[in-house]
Amino acid sequence: MRGLRKYLTPFAPDQSGAVSVLFELGGIVVICDAGGCTGNVCGFDEPRWFEQKSAIFSAGLRDMDAILGRDDRLVAKLADAAEKVDAAFTAVIGTPVPAVIATDYLALRRMTEKKMNLPVLTVDTDGMELYDKGEEKAFLELFKTFAVEKYPVDEHKIGVLGMTPQDVSDLAAADKIRELFQRKYGQKAVCYCMGDGLEEVKKVSSVSKNIVVSPAALATAKYLEKTFGTAYEIYYPLVEDLLPEMDYTGKRILVVHQQVIAGSIRKELLKRGAKAIQTACWFMMKKELQADGDVILRDEDAYIELVQNGEFDIIFADECMDRMTPKFDGTFVNTRHFAVSGKLI
Amino acid sequence: MREAYYCTVKELNDSGKENIPDQFKSNMHLIYSSPATLAFNSPGAEGFGVKRAGLAIPDSIMLIVAPGCCGRNTSLISSMREYDNRFFYLMMDETDIVTGRHLKKIPKAVEEVCAGLEKKPSVVMICITCVDALLGTDMERVCRKAEERAGLPVRPCYMYALTREGRKPPMVHVRQSLYSLLEPAKKKGNVVNLLGFFSPLVDDCELYELLHSAGIKTIHEISRCRDFDEYKTMAEANFNLVLHQEARAAAEDFHERLRIPFIELRRLYQTDKIENQYQAFGSVLGVAFDTDAYRREAEQAVEHFRKVRPDASFAVGECMNGDPFEMALALLKYGFKVPEIYGTITIENFVYMKHIAELSPDTKVFSNMEPTMLYYDPKKSGVNITIGKDALYYHQGCPGIMWNQDEQPFGFAGVRRLFEALKEVAE
Repeated sequence: MRGLRKYLTPFAPDQSGAVSVLFELGGIVVICDAGGCTGNVCGFDEPRWFEQKSAIFSAGLRDMDAILGRDDRLVAKLADAAEKVDAAFTAVIGTPVPAVIATDYLALRRMTEKKMNLPVLTVDTDGMELYDKGEEKAFLELFKTFAVEKYPVDEHKIGVLGMTPQDVSDLAAADKIRELFQRKYGQKAVCYCMGDGLEEVKKVSSVSKNIVVSPAALATAKYLEKTFGTAYEIYYPLVEDLLPEMDYTGKRILVVHQQVIAGSIRKELLKRGAKAIQTACWFMMKKELQADGDVILRDEDAYIELVQNGEFDIIFADECMDRMTPKFDGTFVNTRHFAVSGKLI
Repeated sequence: MREAYYCTVKELNDSGKENIPDQFKSNMHLIYSSPATLAFNSPGAEGFGVKRAGLAIPDSIMLIVAPGCCGRNTSLISSMREYDNRFFYLMMDETDIVTGRHLKKIPKAVEEVCAGLEKKPSVVMICITCVDALLGTDMERVCRKAEERAGLPVRPCYMYALTREGRKPPMVHVRQSLYSLLEPAKKKGNVVNLLGFFSPLVDDCELYELLHSAGIKTIHEISRCRDFDEYKTMAEANFNLVLHQEARAAAEDFHERLRIPFIELRRLYQTDKIENQYQAFGSVLGVAFDTDAYRREAEQAVEHFRKVRPDASFAVGECMNGDPFEMALALLKYGFKVPEIYGTITIENFVYMKHIAELSPDTKVFSNMEPTMLYYDPKKSGVNITIGKDALYYHQGCPGIMWNQDEQPFGFAGVRRLFEALKEVAE
């Protein structure tokens, strides 16, 4: 049945993706909910939250706030927090409750801007879409708000767009990428939203090119290309770390991950002699990255059917999916995807 | 330099329960989210929230009907062995919200889930969230439809965070749901139910022995029921003992539907008050409880701890099994210092506030949820030992105990175990 889950817990929702983008940037991030969504985001979907202090708040909505649409109270609470907390901006992240009562985020932003002297970002997530949708919206909102000035281009500097724990599932990934580019190409890699702060977002026009590591950042890369002329490439620089040493020659392989990482794995496996590779994705699939036979997985049955009929020798997917196909007798390579299982590499 | 907002106990006591500062009212400011507030924002992530509590009935399963975001952190719970293969999800999308079509899918989803299980569940709990609260969904009716289709009991379970501070918060409602399957049965004079917790009292709690000494043969706790048949025998109880105030509504239901009256006891850490409570309880039953040995053991544990840490200076948090203000008062009465409390102030707390103000007027009270807690600095607190997960978070590196275990401390055994645990970390 469409929407019924018997094996997998729901994946990271759009609001978690939006928070993931903004988490490290020094703003007041307000999740517009009654409390439960904030608990889900912080206690589960944002692994950095346990390690570093951040100004994440719940709007603490109550039934009468929702029934009467008391946005003015939310604005007053935001203004109060802005007085008490040092912050570079305020961001309001949507959840199912404002979606049901049709909160007007544009109006909310204008009302809030009038009350405080900070840039205000709003992301109209609704908790029913997936994390990449929220990331896509937040990336665009972030760069459109802060990347307004054109800086001289530094040829030794590249930007990495789409780095969030949801996508790369490794809190050390940003450091690894910085080290890799420094060692291999003598370039400084700026990993937006993972280790490099708001100042680098403002100076995004100074990079010589952008590397896009997640489909959620593709729209932003296109926006930056159009606005500042910054070219972009799409691949995951750490893909080799995801492939265990084994003989891939002549093998038929299924890769399930976010589209950029799945595509990078495919490329690498073909280099290593694999015969046929199909990618499948629970999340957004961009047409320009899609190859023949790549599929979007709508529900559990679709994945089970794909594996049953695919005659694969090897599956690259998050370990939590292993139990869905007990009769699969090939090799299952655990390829962590935090947005799926909530587990890091 | 910014700092966390606090009031001293004296200030709070002087201003009175009608003038609690806005900083201590959760509906007056944004809720700061730190590991110290996780239990507030996501009760399911720690201890028992609605999801875990809803599965307290033996052999039950749960279908969470909600937007994906509401079920996301359930994998934390479902990774625990006892919840393996007990959570299922029917995810809602925008069209469901607009048309309400998800409600029509529920009976079929229940049927499909049950058909795929090796053992037929005793009951299917349907967990719905804020979205359906706003849509005004009549889940009782949907559950009846699902019952007809699946041929087994289906009950609603409301995870409405929006109504947390309302007349019937989710944790009150879930307790009512849990006992709603009981049918009237012939009463037995020597059977009693303990209501309030979703896990059992500590095995060595004196309450069991005291009840046995009063002629009670069978003591039921939902968490100790081995199967659904044993759960059903809870309807035979002569009376209920309510050990947590959130179970009061469930106890009232028992009274109304099954004619089982109830008596309420509180979890306390002051040995003199525990003694008084047992004597009052005994007089209701018409027996005199002999509690001397239990009290002595508890007070000995306090003394053993004092020998190890005579200069103990406590930070007491609210993320633990107890009322932080009552526990702080107990610690002060035992002669220890309590420079800091992290708690949500309610009118009921003022009973303790008055006494704390007499013993330690300068004790600082912080609200975990207030935005300025971002700037909390433990350096000058004078705290050298902590109780509660939140207190441990603020005083990292300082000895302390979480004291939020599933197995519930109660009575003198609770005091004894608390000080034994404190002694262990202090040594």
